[in-house]
Amino acid sequence: MKKLEKWSEQIGKLFEKGKPLHPFHALFDALDTFLLTPKEVTGRGCHIRDAVDMKRTMITVMIALFPPLLVGLWNIGYQHFLSMGMTVSLWEAFFFGFLKWLPLVITVYVSGLTVEIIFAQRRGHQVAEGFFVTGFLIPMILPPDIPLWIVALATIFAVIFGKEVFGGTGYNFLNPALLARAFIFFAYPTVISGDQVWIAEKADSYSGATPLAEAMIGNIAQLPSIAELCIGNIPGSIGETSKIAILIGALLLVFTRVANLKIMLSVIAGGLTMGFIFNLIGTLPIMEIPAYQQLLMGGFLFGTVYMATDPVTGPHTSQGKILYGFLIGIFAILIRVANKGYPEGMMLAILLMNIFAPLIDYCVIQLNIRKRLRRNHA
Amino acid sequence: MQSKITIKRGINIRLAGKAEMTLRSFESDFHAIIPTDFLFLSPKLLIKEGDSVKIGTPLFCDKEQESIRLVAPVSGIITEIRRGEKRRIEAIIIQNNKLYEAEEIQISAEPKREEIVDTLLRSGLWPMIRRRPFDSIANPREKPRDIFISGFDSAPLATDFRFIIQDKQKEFQKGLSIIRQLTEGKIYLSLSYGEDYSIFENIEHIELRYIKGPHPAGNIGTQIHHIAPIKKGEVVWHLDPWQVTRIGHLFLHQQIEFTKRIPLCGSEIQKPQYLEIRDGASIGKVIRETIRQEHVRIISGNILTGQKITSEGFVGFYDRQVTVIAEGGQRELLGWLLPGINKWSFSHTFLSFLFPKKEYKPNTSLQGGRRTLMMNDVYDHVFPFDILPVELYKACRIKDAALMEKLGLYEITPEDVALCELICPSKIEWQQVIREGLEQLYKER
Repeated sequence: MKKLEKWSEQIGKLFEKGKPLHPFHALFDALDTFLLTPKEVTGRGCHIRDAVDMKRTMITVMIALFPPLLVGLWNIGYQHFLSMGMTVSLWEAFFFGFLKWLPLVITVYVSGLTVEIIFAQRRGHQVAEGFFVTGFLIPMILPPDIPLWIVALATIFAVIFGKEVFGGTGYNFLNPALLARAFIFFAYPTVISGDQVWIAEKADSYSGATPLAEAMIGNIAQLPSIAELCIGNIPGSIGETSKIAILIGALLLVFTRVANLKIMLSVIAGGLTMGFIFNLIGTLPIMEIPAYQQLLMGGFLFGTVYMATDPVTGPHTSQGKILYGFLIGIFAILIRVANKGYPEGMMLAILLMNIFAPLIDYCVIQLNIRKRLRRNHA
Repeated sequence: MQSKITIKRGINIRLAGKAEMTLRSFESDFHAIIPTDFLFLSPKLLIKEGDSVKIGTPLFCDKEQESIRLVAPVSGIITEIRRGEKRRIEAIIIQNNKLYEAEEIQISAEPKREEIVDTLLRSGLWPMIRRRPFDSIANPREKPRDIFISGFDSAPLATDFRFIIQDKQKEFQKGLSIIRQLTEGKIYLSLSYGEDYSIFENIEHIELRYIKGPHPAGNIGTQIHHIAPIKKGEVVWHLDPWQVTRIGHLFLHQQIEFTKRIPLCGSEIQKPQYLEIRDGASIGKVIRETIRQEHVRIISGNILTGQKITSEGFVGFYDRQVTVIAEGGQRELLGWLLPGINKWSFSHTFLSFLFPKKEYKPNTSLQGGRRTLMMNDVYDHVFPFDILPVELYKACRIKDAALMEKLGLYEITPEDVALCELICPSKIEWQQVIREGLEQLYKER
């Protein structure tokens, strides 16, 4: 330990201002604080601090992402072998999925972190941890067989235009992971929509449509059972399929006080409300899907737990968060049902509400101010 | 049945080193009055180095309001007027001759309001009374809407007023009857709900309020907000029970009294107990006798809002305790990954949540890197005001005074956001940001 500390101090000197390695100080600082906790002590103000920091917060989110990831990896393999008409062991299926996922995640981290470090270096900031979660999320909302160069391009686009141009982590107003997905969705629609892309190395004769796509064309009878929707042995993006695993992640996030339960509940409330409204209208087959089943389809729950709860891109006021969540739920089901072009309504609903978050905040702030003014005049 | 006000948002931190209920008196060789303890006061010196002073001899006054004077708490000789940058006065240091000669003071038997104000100003006790907004010394020309007294301190390891005033009840009563005349409004005394505060309870002409909940329930700002919030333009005053006994002592015994009783506490003190000292005492000698190790942080005040002092340093004018904890700075391997059974955290991201009753031995490590504000929903859990904390923070950062005022900055002081600072995952200095906001608001008012 002491040796490591000394060592880091000695190497650290090479990265100080005016030293030859100064251009890489952001990289050094990121590695140094990754290995050893910072040695800074409190000064003015509070003399002790909570042990939690952004690193711990982000690692907790990543741990919460593991259940859907693990099931998702198994499901990649399971779907692949199923389409070939083969049955394999759980481990074989998982290993196949892992090999599909590994290049994706490496591509995302290498491309994204390079951009992050360059910006942190130029600004003289420390490298923020936010990207570790973003980078983990991006592969989970993509189909398994997507070309890596598209993934790299989308990641770089999302980091630069979703985050860095606005000042970096904490100042962005769009969820970077969803922005990456939206970029692919609009720039390269063929690799992320239709019924050919969701199963890795699928046999051609096998139908690989997601439940949402089936519902869209009216094949309500073809929909997977509720049990299948919950377990997640259905085609879809890597992380979104298993609702049980997502629920486990959600419990962890809520219990550790990292994510906001109110947002999750209000998204679900919004989704159910819109689902019921469509049930009442019921003119299209997709409108007849029970509201609760709508929640189990597509990326709705995944978005609810891991994307809508992003504190930076949502409203910053707690009343605002509730309205924000509710509207996400409404729009997700509305877009999904009413617009045939975009079966994944969740992504667009969250991005749309990201844009409206500052407006919601403005209204909440004005209400708070008005309440205070009224009291002053009373 | 006691009616109560329940504060839900907040947190109690269990720290090791609570002071025992024993009192040790300590005579310090040096005392100091520190002008920066008084917010928004610019000192005008009334003495010079080498002068001899008695208890009650004015040392300096406020340039804007010369009747507000800070006086010597002991008799002796001014050994040093310590100055910092731009010749700003940092401390006026008195060598205690231990004779405790006091200036004489005339007090009429049935004083009217003007006489009370005048007596308090002359005695040097006036600066104990502070006003909200801004927490500066009360302005003798103003009439406060109400006066608030917090009968309990909920900060970690804080003073138990029941212990320190148990033999001063007569003075406390007298003090209350004196300050009763300073306002036409109400005198509110808040007590902790569900605990035995009988020594405070049989008092006439004051409004008792019972507050239930975790820290910051004992903070005066929280209590004002929940009992009778201040509107823009209103002024309230506040004191603590010990300060009330001092006023009572002055009017009862015709003596200027500057003793105070504070707990010397914290995990690095071997025998934490209450000390009886005089204002501005240097208690390094006691601390050196009783600390467990050398690498410590000495804090005049509590761990949330106190000032860091050296072992030769002086207890601040308003500080009600001295806390000694271990200095941090040790680096940990992969600290973000460890289970963290010994780490205190408001979040449940460390396994320490399994042991809610555990007493922690904290250190001063920042425990993370400074980041921009991201986790904007955690602060609500510890900020029991109808104020949007993150928005207020942003208004202070962009220096928009009009917005700060609209969002209610005048209702709070830095100590009210201390818990936001404590639990902040981005390690932001909330108190400093709010302090700068208040300074700007004060200048532009």
